Amino acid sequence: MSGCPGSKTIDFSEKTNQEGNETGKRPSQLRQWPIQLHLVSPMAPYFQGKDILLAADCTAFAFGEFHKDYLKGKSIAIACPKLDSDQEIYVDKIKSLIDDAKINTLSVMIMQVPCCFGLAQIAKDGAEKASRKIPVKQIVVGLEGNILSEEWI
Amino acid sequence: MQKVLNREIKELITAYPEVGRVLEEYGIGCAPCSVGSCLLKDVVGIHNLDPQKEATLMYRIEKAIYPDRKISEPVVDMTRKAEPKKITYSPPVKKLVDEHVLIKRLLALIPSIVEFTESSLKVDKNLILGCVDFIRTYADKYHHMKEEDILFKYIDEKAEIIQVMYKDHDIGRGYVRQAVEGAEKNNKTQVKENLLAYRDLLTQHIKKEDEILYPWIDRQLSTTQVGEMFRKCNDADALVGDELPRKYEKFIVELEEKFLQEVTK
Repeated sequence: MSGCPGSKTIDFSEKTNQEGNETGKRPSQLRQWPIQLHLVSPMAPYFQGKDILLAADCTAFAFGEFHKDYLKGKSIAIACPKLDSDQEIYVDKIKSLIDDAKINTLSVMIMQVPCCFGLAQIAKDGAEKASRKIPVKQIVVGLEGNILSEEWI
Repeated sequence: MQKVLNREIKELITAYPEVGRVLEEYGIGCAPCSVGSCLLKDVVGIHNLDPQKEATLMYRIEKAIYPDRKISEPVVDMTRKAEPKKITYSPPVKKLVDEHVLIKRLLALIPSIVEFTESSLKVDKNLILGCVDFIRTYADKYHHMKEEDILFKYIDEKAEIIQVMYKDHDIGRGYVRQAVEGAEKNNKTQVKENLLAYRDLLTQHIKKEDEILYPWIDRQLSTTQVGEMFRKCNDADALVGDELPRKYEKFIVELEEKFLQEVTK
């Protein structure tokens, strides 16, 4: 195996016909705009005292039940630790979410590819810089949309 | 079988001792429990067994109760390796588990304290009252109160397992009262018996909490509740300040040094 696992070409199209319940509408659980971490302000009312989901861009596409199982009841910010620039701003925003918006918890959802763990590191760095302490959870999504792990870090 | 699931575990084990032995094999130590009023269904549920293990356990319990009944044995996939179980805790629960460590360090010293008491001319009142102060302030006020006032509020407090925990706390307080009375009256036997009884009780109690109760509570907590509980525990700790845990850690370190010297004398 060579090259970056984050951009390696893999085709699992034959596995797309997996069982699942297609009946009923799945309403969006998004309750805010904007969502990109560079665009959101920690002072936005939808962050104050809330449980926050910091999701890597790819996770919502990979994990089929993203809205129902993870976004519901939370406010969100999204980012890509591989492609986004000025990531030191991200660390400061996480710190501000914890100290100023006094968020309740931070759940970081990332893909299993190594570069994605950079987002978890940004969350950890922000949490360490903050003077308040809050529980931080890491959820890792597999390339085929399964949850590989979910643990408090 | 539904009726059996709703029966109290002690009553079942008394009527069918084989049930106690089967549970023991699965690491479910209900047989020596002092209360035993948990229902069988809760006992099985709380241990979060692998579905395959749970099916086999239920089959064996049913067989122990109804040996003549025709029950089909669950198919066990022998090729499937059981995942090693790693217990993880949410941050507020982890803090409570960490607090157990200092309490366990005192429990480990109790046999030496008892031996020292027995070999001394009279009970060292200061030593016993110092340990009692640790138990009452650190273990009971600082730690148990967080369990009782915060953690247990997130689940059904009427659940038998919680009642067992409350009862353990009360029995422990009784042993401590008796140990104090023994120290006041210079009654070595009373001090010895109650400190050792406290040690046995708390050792089992902490094991039940670390391995069974806390993971069970954690599985029921939502992310929001974890954050809320974390804040409440931090607020409770802030009220007493950093000085209290530091003071009692110093007390344990000094006690360990004292008894290490006694042993090496």
